[in-house]
Amino acid sequence: MSHPTYQAAVFGATSTICVESLRAMLLHRPARILLIGRNPEKLAVVADDLRCRGAQCLTHAVPLDDCTTDWNQLLEVSSNGQPWDLFLIAHGSLPDQELTLTDGAAIAQSLTTNFTSAAVIAAACAAILDRQNHGALAVFSSVAGDRGRASNFLYGAAKAGIDTFLAGLRHRFAGRPAIKIITLKPGMTDTPMTAHLPHGPLFSSAQRVGSLAWLAISKGSSVAYLPAWWHILMTIIRLLPNKLFHRTRL
Amino acid sequence: MIPLKDMPSWGNLRPARARVFSPSWKPSSLPGPGPFLPYGLGKSYGDSCLLDAGTMIETRFLDRIRSFNPSSGLLRAQAGISLDAILRFSVPRGWFLPTTPGTALVTLGGAMANDVHGKNHHRAGCLGNHIPAFELLRSDGSLLTCRAGDPMHAATLGGLGLTGLITEADIQLVPIQSAFLDVELIRFNGLDEFLALSAESSTPWEHTVAWIDCVAGGTSLGRGIFIRGNWSDQGKLIVHRPARLSIPLNLPSATLNRLSVTAFNTLYYRRFLGKSKTLHQHYAPFFYPLDSLHQWNRIYGKRGFYQYQCLIPPAAGTQPMELILKKIAASGQASFLAVLKTFGNLPSPGMLSFPAPGITLALDFPERGQRTRELFANLDSIVRDAGGHLYPAKDARMNPEDFQTFYPMLDTFRPYLDPAFSSNFWQRMHPHAAASSRPT
Repeated sequence: MSHPTYQAAVFGATSTICVESLRAMLLHRPARILLIGRNPEKLAVVADDLRCRGAQCLTHAVPLDDCTTDWNQLLEVSSNGQPWDLFLIAHGSLPDQELTLTDGAAIAQSLTTNFTSAAVIAAACAAILDRQNHGALAVFSSVAGDRGRASNFLYGAAKAGIDTFLAGLRHRFAGRPAIKIITLKPGMTDTPMTAHLPHGPLFSSAQRVGSLAWLAISKGSSVAYLPAWWHILMTIIRLLPNKLFHRTRL
Repeated sequence: MIPLKDMPSWGNLRPARARVFSPSWKPSSLPGPGPFLPYGLGKSYGDSCLLDAGTMIETRFLDRIRSFNPSSGLLRAQAGISLDAILRFSVPRGWFLPTTPGTALVTLGGAMANDVHGKNHHRAGCLGNHIPAFELLRSDGSLLTCRAGDPMHAATLGGLGLTGLITEADIQLVPIQSAFLDVELIRFNGLDEFLALSAESSTPWEHTVAWIDCVAGGTSLGRGIFIRGNWSDQGKLIVHRPARLSIPLNLPSATLNRLSVTAFNTLYYRRFLGKSKTLHQHYAPFFYPLDSLHQWNRIYGKRGFYQYQCLIPPAAGTQPMELILKKIAASGQASFLAVLKTFGNLPSPGMLSFPAPGITLALDFPERGQRTRELFANLDSIVRDAGGHLYPAKDARMNPEDFQTFYPMLDTFRPYLDPAFSSNFWQRMHPHAAASSRPT
């Protein structure tokens, strides 16, 4: 299908890695981008930055974890009569696990933010891709979903949920090469969300992770570790027998 | 809750332990009572970017472009944007920084706070000469718009981050046809030849600088390579690549010894045959030769290193600089990174800007304790007698009395300090002020 402008809708558009992915995209092609997020002022700042880089931006402020939102309708009315080329889901938040685990409502809220809302949005986007028979859905998951680790299994469980959800969608669309379902798995990334953590040599810059994310999206990869060496590291961690794994403090 | 973190400066001498506030959006106020100090990418060598027992405001997530005029080249951006990020944006569009320091891995705000200079100082002046306006958040919550000509503009450029937090700034970019420069390398022997080359190059060449061997003594004393370049109109507008190589950990301090540095310098000096060489060079190796080696400061090992950068005014003649070079060569302590540059006459915009007419020398010294400090004391007295001065952005050990003499505008500057801002450098320059109260 050919159409004039690459068109993307982005959920959680103010996230640092997401903005870096969009900046990387704009180095390669101009685009029309619908930026969806909670805070209108922050969305406006991001939109200005991306406009300077050649994007045509629209913003829509809405709470992303409100699971009653009719995403289908929002995307329909904002489509400008053109098909969507990319849906990018990037919202999420790293909970203070020890604090959260003592409070049932906080656990539920964290799972809603990091899993449920993303699944709701992904389902709506998948329905549109199905109808269009074209386009990509890319979701930021995390290496944290690969194995439950004592330090962050609450966040990890939500991300593991997303991984499975996307694997299922990928299975559903198997045999329809015009539809891509992409799981983006950043490792430790230097963003405001992790600014309070000590930064070891495993940290990557948001700019690097963002440009690798765009590379994975443009190639239509299924699962992309960002950077790729996290795949090796997480494979080792996943394969460690419990006897050994339980001796580590990860 | 703001966590405590160790924050390094580039010289790796001693990190500061501070609360670190890392806003990702322009704050409307600062958290808590202070003291505060903005922190960009930590490329100041000494302690001017550090603040123990205070709140350091890490600015690197405030990196958005606010507006860009593609016909005039006026860019407005949040002050945490790096010069590297500006170039990645501007070079493909045919624009370059009006002047640039030897690394692009600094923030715009940090470059302004040190009123940095570059190889085109004799034409373009300092960075501050190209910042028509900026926005400054003060600790009382007020947001000031400062324009060229305002006293707060002059206090903040070169003001070492002590007048408040620069949140956004306008920078006037300059047009380029290509990302390449036509470069000429010329061997010279001694300061007189360097000065003759500087004088002859200042009009026809936009960028001039020299590398000088501060290890070789005897007849080789003062040998070096003069580097001059002009923007080319040949070649594509290609952006530099990110660093591929990194020094993963501190190297043993024995890595840099007289033998290895002499070998490096001799190879560097002999890197081309004949008296001169011309090349068509991309801006990255020309302006930022070390940016391709991530964390090169680890070469100096865990004890860290100093950079000594001084300026000798023309009235003093060449003798003080000759003496400085001799002392350094005799000490055997210098490393391979030594840079010599003649500044132009364009007045610096900041009250505390470093550049002034004269010759500036910058070079690195590994920390070797007493020996290093004694050498610096000797160099200081030459600089003092010559009516020269030192660069706070590089400093970790200047005398407070010298600082007062070197910067006669200090008293004009003080009223513009933000009462809740301070730095380790500033406190070191005011040893008699109570630690808890602001030096005034």
